[in-house]
Amino acid sequence: MAELQGLGAQLSEAERAGVEIIAISPDPSERSQKMADGLRLGYRFLADTDLAVARRYGLVHERAGPDGQDLPRPATVVVDRDGAVRWFSISRNYQVRPDPEDVRRALRAL
Amino acid sequence: MTTSGFLAALSVLLAVAAIAAYALLLSVPLVRNHPEAYVAAFAVAMALAVVAVRRARGRRWPAWTALALSSLLLGLGGWFNFVVARVPVAPPAFRVGERPPDFTLPDASGRPVSLADYRGRKPVVLVFYRGYW
Repeated sequence: MAELQGLGAQLSEAERAGVEIIAISPDPSERSQKMADGLRLGYRFLADTDLAVARRYGLVHERAGPDGQDLPRPATVVVDRDGAVRWFSISRNYQVRPDPEDVRRALRAL
Repeated sequence: MTTSGFLAALSVLLAVAAIAAYALLLSVPLVRNHPEAYVAAFAVAMALAVVAVRRARGRRWPAWTALALSSLLLGLGGWFNFVVARVPVAPPAFRVGERPPDFTLPDASGRPVSLADYRGRKPVVLVFYRGYW
């Protein structure tokens, strides 16, 4: 869950109310949702079990898992009210996530 | 304590502190986003241990222990950070200014959610992450 901390936790109540944070991973979403709700992160979890969406977004890291399974490339994409991409960041090292301040700036610029 | 013993202790302390700091401060973006810092700390710990070994007179095992520990951590940490954790760089299939592919996926309660549901309503931040597999 540490990889998801930061963004939701650093947005104010007002900022969180005005934006939907959607977390997409191959995990079944129930467990993630419970943990995030416990941490009051304000995320909505969607289960992309077969990576179909990650694939359509060009965000698959082939054979990255311990058993050779494909995994998503960690990425953050800001989509504006009209449904267009306004900012994105894709990790080159999976320990690294975008600075929440950069995401905030992108949201403020909408 | 001899200079060698002091340097050996300092080396071990630095290596352990680097691991603890990274693990405990993972939610701080500045720490999380600079994993190369723990590799650098292991390198400094190893340099201290090398000096400790060279200065060791009599009791040598503390210096050699520090050297073994720090070189092991530097090897493992460097391999993890620069090899294992690397994600290939490739352009995504969407562009700034354009609509990304729409999708419908189930949420935690099994209800289908589409990106298009939010169009005209509110901005969305999509966070793709690896999960726990």
